[in-house]
Amino acid sequence: MQTKHWQQRLLTLPPMSYLLIFFAVPTVIMLFASFRYAGEYGGLAPWYSYEEGKLAFDLTLENWQRLFETDIYLRLFAKSIGYAVLTTLLCILLGYPLALMIARSPRKHRDLLLLLVILPFWSNFLVRIYAWMIIFSPSGALTHMINSLLDIFGLAPISLMYSPTAVIVCLVYVHLPFMVLPLYANLEKHDPALLDAAQDLGATRWRRFWKITWPISLPGVYAGSILVFIPVLGMFAIPDLLGGTDGIMIANVIKQQFVESRDWPFGSVLSMVLTVAAVLAVLLGAKFGQQAGQTR
Amino acid sequence: MKRLLASIVFMAVTPLATAATQLHLFNWNDYIAQDTVAAFEKSCNCQLVQDYYSSTEEMMAKLLAGASGYDVVVPTQNAVQALIKQKFLLSLDKNQLPNFKNSDPGFLNRSYDPANTYSVPYAFTTTLVGYNEQQLAKLGISPDDWSVIFDPKVLEKLKGKVTVMDDAEELFGAALKYLGYSVNDRDEKHLREAQQVIMAAKPYWAAFNSSSYIKELTVGNIWVAHGYSSDMVQARADADAADRDFNVNFVLPKQGAVLALDNMVIPKDAKNKKLAHQFINFMLDGKNAAALTNEIGAGNPNAAAAEFIDATIKQQKAIFPDAATLATLETIEASDAKQRRLLNKLWTEIKIK
Repeated sequence: MQTKHWQQRLLTLPPMSYLLIFFAVPTVIMLFASFRYAGEYGGLAPWYSYEEGKLAFDLTLENWQRLFETDIYLRLFAKSIGYAVLTTLLCILLGYPLALMIARSPRKHRDLLLLLVILPFWSNFLVRIYAWMIIFSPSGALTHMINSLLDIFGLAPISLMYSPTAVIVCLVYVHLPFMVLPLYANLEKHDPALLDAAQDLGATRWRRFWKITWPISLPGVYAGSILVFIPVLGMFAIPDLLGGTDGIMIANVIKQQFVESRDWPFGSVLSMVLTVAAVLAVLLGAKFGQQAGQTR
Repeated sequence: MKRLLASIVFMAVTPLATAATQLHLFNWNDYIAQDTVAAFEKSCNCQLVQDYYSSTEEMMAKLLAGASGYDVVVPTQNAVQALIKQKFLLSLDKNQLPNFKNSDPGFLNRSYDPANTYSVPYAFTTTLVGYNEQQLAKLGISPDDWSVIFDPKVLEKLKGKVTVMDDAEELFGAALKYLGYSVNDRDEKHLREAQQVIMAAKPYWAAFNSSSYIKELTVGNIWVAHGYSSDMVQARADADAADRDFNVNFVLPKQGAVLALDNMVIPKDAKNKKLAHQFINFMLDGKNAAALTNEIGAGNPNAAAAEFIDATIKQQKAIFPDAATLATLETIEASDAKQRRLLNKLWTEIKIK
């Protein structure tokens, strides 16, 4: 028993130290940086100095005050969370029927169907975004089709490119597999006997879904939601490429601090807030997932 | 076992030892002619390894975060100034640069590097207006004025067909020029005025775009784009090559614009300093410098290049500004942390509303 315990520790040491080195340590560095001054030409200013032989600390709360000085950053956080929630909901709406269909299809087809879900990962993420830019562009096929339809009804042509719609469509497109896969893993394990029993007792198709399938699948829904919500919250490439003049999300501003304005301390402040938001989302998701898992 | 290990190590090391010497160049994208690369590799019997960047900020962030291994970098003047202050650059050995005499004196001894101790001019671009000739003629709009980008009355006819650079310094520079101020004006009141101009025009713009306006202009999705002169040369050539039923052209607005003078510098930690000098000297040769203008469309700060440059290009004021035009052009100066912070705040306010 003692040796087994010891072996277990040894096995978990590499992943634990990996997480510690590449997540915990950078987070602590970032937290520290958020209290320092920016260097004149980027980077960070020294955090201590000797003045007349005495050690003096050059730390400040100024960067955190800037967060609350104006409401623009908090509004941007709210907007990004809104985008992330909307994307997650759309992914559930689109992903759930798909995962259910795959889970209920004949066993020999399932692997192929799953492969098709993963297929987009074979090409680079940015290449797929550029493909969407072509689809959405005013001279693109999709816009042409929609506008000729609108024209029949006498409506003014619309522009898809550089709009919040384009951003949301792409966010959903990119993250849909992250919703489908955990949902499928859950749905596939459901015991069909439960549905048969409900049917024998006279439950309608709809009732069978809401009373049996949906509650049992909730842990999968929460797992998928976390996998979608968090990357969307920190997304900057899609709003950069497809967003219009007001399309930015919070991660774009964080990138701006580190790259354009070379203001690492304020970038660290915004990153810390984002990290806290993501951790809260995970905790909430995990809590609900656990509860849902226990009630069944 | 030991022998196996030794042979693996040997196999891993040999290719490095036999490969040609490499020169690592960190340059703007599309900013060196292909033929020039081949010619240099032949002359030095080495390999030119290129790495690209698309904005000064990107390059600075990478270098200041500790990226090393570059032998030659091509930063714009304000970045040169910042890199000098950071003590990042090697003092150039002019004895190894006999072609330095080719540089046009008008582009030497500027305030960012008063004696050209660390930097040698490479090429220059202006930030101007690229436009779709036919569409603007149809609307009766003349693009040689910043109002084509900032005046809501003009923009009403161009709604959704204009992109501006996704770059706070460039866009504020243009707005400040439109208002009659200097591009380096960092007075908060003037910057706020510029912010108002940008906010009033923003609803009419399609996007902030620094990366794909060449394509958008060439395809015809966008009719007016705020961008670099060398990119507009590219867009015009692409539209011609694709046989579009319109032409792309470009013009310097009469209020003046931003001039970006790019320079060759050697980082202190460069591995191959001698070869780096050799490369700089090679690029200062009149013929090689001329290729930058003939093939890339960049402005040329090299006096010896003049005789090799195509006559048609020489006539274009946006690429070869005459004295009167040159007087309206300004280079952006390096800004300090506080100025960058103010500009970024104004910029974020613009982006969120």
